[in-house]
Amino acid sequence: MNRLCDVEPRVMDDEMLKLAVGEQGPRDEAGQLAKQEGILFKDVLSLQLDFQNILRIDNLWQFENLRKLQLDNNIIEKIEGLENLTHLVWLDLSFNNIEAIEGLDTLVNLEDLSLFNNRISKIDSLDALVKLQVLSLGNNQIGNMTNIIYLRRFKDLRTLSLSGNPVAEAEDYRTFICAYLPDLVYLDFQRIDDHMKELAEMKHQCSVDELKHQESLMQAQLEEEQARWEELEGHKAAFVEHLNGPFLFDSMYAEDVEGSQLSHLPGVGELVQTYKDKFVIICLNIFKFGMKQQEKRKAELDTFMGCVQEAIQEKQEQGKHEIAKFEEKHLLTLSSIRDESELTNFEIKMAEHSENITELVNVLMTLEMQLVEQLEETINMFERNIIDLVGLFVENVQSLMAQCRDLENHHHEKLLEIAISTREKIVKGELDEDLPDAVRALFVDKDTIVNAVGASHDIHLLKIDNREDELVTRVNSWRAHLVDKIHKDEIMRNRRRMKEINQYVDHVQSELDSLEYSDLLD
Amino acid sequence: MLVAPSWSEVGHSECIYSSYRDLISRQSETQQMEVLKEKVEEEEEAERAEQAERAERAKKMMRPMEVRKEDTTRTQEMLRDLERKLSEIEVSIPEKPSTFTKDAIDTSKLPLSYQSNTPKEEHLLQVADNFSRQYSHLCPDRVPLFLYPVNECSVPKFVSTTIRPTLMPYPELYNWDTCAQFVSDFLSAVPLPDPLKPPSYLYSSTTVLKYQEGNCFDFSTLLCSMLLGAGYDAYCVYGYGSQDLCHMDLTREVCPLTVKPKEEQESAKTDPLHGLRVHSWVLVLSGKREVPESFFIDPFTARSYSTQDDHFLGIESLWNHKNYWVNMQDCWNCCKDLVFDLGDPVRWEYLLLETDKPLLSLTEEEDDGMNDDDDVENLGKEDEDKSFDMPCSWVEQIEISPEAFETRCPNGKKVIQYKRARLEKWAPYLNNNGLVCRLTTYEDLQCTKILEIKEWFQNRKDMLELKHINKVTGLNIDYFKPGHPQALRAHSYTSMQPEMDRVMEFYETARVDGLIKREETPRTMTEYYQGRPDLLSYRHVNFGPRIKKLSLNSAESNPRPVVLRHSLPTSHPTHVLACQKITERFSRNPAKPADEDVAERVFLLLDERIQLRYHCREDHLTASKREFLWRTEGDSKGNKIIMTPDMCLSFEVEPMEHTKKLLYQYEAMMKLKNEEKLARHQAWESELEVLEILKLREEEEAAHVLTISIYDTKRNEKSKEYREAMERMMLEEHLWQAEAQLDYLAPFLAQLPPGEKLTRWQAVRLKDECLSDFKQRLIDKANLIQARFEKVLPGPWQGRGPQRPQPENGPRAVCSPSQTCEGLIGAGGGCQCLGCPDDRVVLPHTCSLGGRVDGGREGVVGGWMEPYNSS
Repeated sequence: MNRLCDVEPRVMDDEMLKLAVGEQGPRDEAGQLAKQEGILFKDVLSLQLDFQNILRIDNLWQFENLRKLQLDNNIIEKIEGLENLTHLVWLDLSFNNIEAIEGLDTLVNLEDLSLFNNRISKIDSLDALVKLQVLSLGNNQIGNMTNIIYLRRFKDLRTLSLSGNPVAEAEDYRTFICAYLPDLVYLDFQRIDDHMKELAEMKHQCSVDELKHQESLMQAQLEEEQARWEELEGHKAAFVEHLNGPFLFDSMYAEDVEGSQLSHLPGVGELVQTYKDKFVIICLNIFKFGMKQQEKRKAELDTFMGCVQEAIQEKQEQGKHEIAKFEEKHLLTLSSIRDESELTNFEIKMAEHSENITELVNVLMTLEMQLVEQLEETINMFERNIIDLVGLFVENVQSLMAQCRDLENHHHEKLLEIAISTREKIVKGELDEDLPDAVRALFVDKDTIVNAVGASHDIHLLKIDNREDELVTRVNSWRAHLVDKIHKDEIMRNRRRMKEINQYVDHVQSELDSLEYSDLLD
Repeated sequence: MLVAPSWSEVGHSECIYSSYRDLISRQSETQQMEVLKEKVEEEEEAERAEQAERAERAKKMMRPMEVRKEDTTRTQEMLRDLERKLSEIEVSIPEKPSTFTKDAIDTSKLPLSYQSNTPKEEHLLQVADNFSRQYSHLCPDRVPLFLYPVNECSVPKFVSTTIRPTLMPYPELYNWDTCAQFVSDFLSAVPLPDPLKPPSYLYSSTTVLKYQEGNCFDFSTLLCSMLLGAGYDAYCVYGYGSQDLCHMDLTREVCPLTVKPKEEQESAKTDPLHGLRVHSWVLVLSGKREVPESFFIDPFTARSYSTQDDHFLGIESLWNHKNYWVNMQDCWNCCKDLVFDLGDPVRWEYLLLETDKPLLSLTEEEDDGMNDDDDVENLGKEDEDKSFDMPCSWVEQIEISPEAFETRCPNGKKVIQYKRARLEKWAPYLNNNGLVCRLTTYEDLQCTKILEIKEWFQNRKDMLELKHINKVTGLNIDYFKPGHPQALRAHSYTSMQPEMDRVMEFYETARVDGLIKREETPRTMTEYYQGRPDLLSYRHVNFGPRIKKLSLNSAESNPRPVVLRHSLPTSHPTHVLACQKITERFSRNPAKPADEDVAERVFLLLDERIQLRYHCREDHLTASKREFLWRTEGDSKGNKIIMTPDMCLSFEVEPMEHTKKLLYQYEAMMKLKNEEKLARHQAWESELEVLEILKLREEEEAAHVLTISIYDTKRNEKSKEYREAMERMMLEEHLWQAEAQLDYLAPFLAQLPPGEKLTRWQAVRLKDECLSDFKQRLIDKANLIQARFEKVLPGPWQGRGPQRPQPENGPRAVCSPSQTCEGLIGAGGGCQCLGCPDDRVVLPHTCSLGGRVDGGREGVVGGWMEPYNSS
């Protein structure tokens, strides 16, 4: 704001942040510790930077876990540099010089946003803030009532302040807001009473209802789109998308100039139609088969995963049991060793317990090795199964595609026949129908027409081949990826388990060793 | 029927009985019905010769022995000899002195139907007599039927008419088991005067209920009436039962309430009268009320038996309120082979013609409508004399007052002796501690060593339901219903002293802290929780030994020392040595990652150590652990140590950066210290609560206050007062209204044309009429007094109906009572008789003289005649 313009703006540098963090960190004994150790920016949860004459928000990217940020009473002009602060719940930017709401798109956890006393004239760019509960926009320059309708998307919004805006001077300001934001509880720091709610409802019912209707239509449309998209995704997962209709056929003709020209010839229209019908039927067959195969693959995968999970669970339980047993013994032994006064006994016990630990390692490792073997076998079996399934699928699709090709060949022959006969008719001048010039141009000589028909045929075949190739490559790569991932996961799991066991054993061993050490000291 | 014979004679007779029984059983075993028939024919002549003698004797008594026929080898002489002996013995059996004898019943108060027979009943008796004679002719070897015993007024009544199907207004009595239990509880059993034959009398159920006493026939008649009323297909059975059954002896039975009795075969004494003891029970046939299988109910014990049960040795006949059937099947194998298809005339000889089994009939339905239908049906098929339907029951409606129903057993108390167990029952509110049932289990058959006692309570304010005392281990367990002020569910203890072994269970939903169970031993306390927001599920506290000096002065009101250097609002000094440990376990909180979700924490207060164990991650074998121990002494320079790395030993499944920081550890430790304080406080509060509960329990035991439902109008004093006040107010208002309406001149004024002014003559006449009427009223009152006086003093007029008042010098004639009643009813209770043409004044009190004209009396209430009624 103007009042601060004459003061020199400060830069948000490391020093400033450190100072603020240190000041706002823990107090007393904990403070001493904190000083001793230093505080990492990423451990800071709350930061207060008010009255610092900050012009530009900067250097905040390290505060990954910040929950609360206060930047009020500065001279900030633009919201920026907050992208990394995704855990932010509370953001205070009041009493600044901000003109537009922006740069908040990553703050999905924000619940409380204060932009009080700024220069904002339009409410927007808040779409990402789905959890918003408190929005303070007082003393700004918002002048249009439609801004309020924008706020309808925030289902959790309960508190809103807009006083001090041009919009708040309107006569029906309060009722309008109450009517359009019925879930609001506090407006301009006042609780909305039931009377006000009734009044608002009465006044704006018609328009609100209309709005609601529109919203519901939009919602329905959105849902429909979503459903369609999901369906397509399902088809894609089965590798047979766009085969449940004339899409492939249409795409064959889409780039086929000659084909569409030739369809003007007498008799070709019907020919194409029957061709299309047959073609679509085959496509549908492919589609249906593909979906069925997808189900089968899914079932296979589920069973496999279930088996694996079961095996892992079983071994895990056994391992847990072993560890629990050991732990009990361990504690007892430790305390008995601790109480031991004689050196020989002490050493015997130590040795005994070391043996116990080795035994535990052996048991756990054996369990893990058993599991690895089991899983390897299972994975191999699954791999074989899935290869079989994919092979069957590809084979069948290929044979169906071959049918398509046959159809195309057949069609091509027919078309060629018609074309040649037409050419003859034209030569003889017997053709009574009018043909477009471009088509007529094809019939200048026999080679041209044969070439045209051939080109159309080639395009069609190419399309069919492409589709087939795409399907086969995709399904194969899917299989490869899946198997690869399963192998990798298993290796990772095995490594994690080994690490865990080693870590635990190291810990236990170190506990034992520390006893030895401390006893020797005494 | 001479002198009572000596005991030796009795013994002798028993021998005869037993030999006779052998004979019968031998006969039965042969199963040769053909032979039997032949025998019957053979002996028929001899029998006929004897018939006169027999008939004479049969009139004097019913001979149970006559049924069975003699062995072919027995001569007529022997038979006669035997019969003579048997008849002598019957007298010898001493009749048990019963408090409820025929003399005790005031028959004069009983309704007319009790004292006489209607023509229809007479007809029925004739039919029955005819049937009986035919029966004894056809089956001379069987005992006479139990058809028309005399009732309490010495009037012979047919047994079926003694059954009065009644549906009781208590929902508890809707099912057969509760019904039977009620009958068995409500009546006390009296053995039959002669165990070998049915009684010569059968009282109405109303009388039986009134005196709460009866024999097995009374029991089964009442139970049958109730079951029929509830819609069961029930029958009274006259047959033979085992000795245990007839004497209601359950001492050889295992009490149904004892859970697992040790089965031990006991040598049952052979009963010399086996198979001859007459008993009556109830048969419930399958079909109605979803009864899947026919069964017997013994009305004495309310136990149900299979129809194959060994206790039931034979059936003579059975009846319900509609008909009477005689068993024609052989009972050689007890009741095991009997087929209860009452429609089969070969197996069951019926008395009244009814082609199929009787239909369900409730009390209302047994009116004429139904019987008429039967009549019509029967008339079409059979001759007139055979188609005769059962008259209505002569017994009044069976009524059980709510008080009697609640009191149940005679005097509200009943004791049943079982094998190694004794069951005592009391009516609710009879014992002032709410005790309603007590089961004592004994170790030995002689019932001297008590094993355990179970006491059931009702209506206790402290919701105590069952007290289980084990005399062997000394363990007491109290069970509570929901609603105890401390949400107690069960409390098991050996002593009410604190700091002893005890387990308290709670209704966790009624408690804020979700405590389910608290177990205590002298040194530990374990608590189990459920449904807490902090997911605490278990807390175990080890207590240190209490210093002797302390236990002396801290008495019982102070909990054990939970604290070390921690001041509590008690008198404990802070230096109490108490080794102790608090262990808390938590359920998994899915909102937190497993590495931060504590599964168990142990506060070792002596070592100043805190051990944490975290939950295990889903795909891991090991769980993180952390141990804090703090040192309060300063370091070598005398500085206070805040936190050093060795104060927190941790094992992490996946080591993390931030947990290595001292600050983090320090903060965690500080938090835990606070938690520790809280935990200690919790433990202390739990201790306090135990003391509080113990104190409360003691108070409750001492006071044993009973609750009274607000719906219990009889006992609830407050509501009773309120109701009485309301009634009083109503009555007062009523009286006031009546007074306001009372206008002596009104009936006279009404005779005059309305709206006109009275002439002087009319007014004088009116005055005279009114006065004379008053005089007449006085006279009538005097007459009434006289009549009542005579009624009290037995005089020549007694029982001859009302006396007509004798007007001495009254100016008005008095009409007859019947006229008066008509007049009154005709006037619609409107105070004067406008219908009398000759201007006679009807005196309403003649109604009261006339006896039972309730309608007339009701009509007068509130009118000017009211004073008469009140006189």
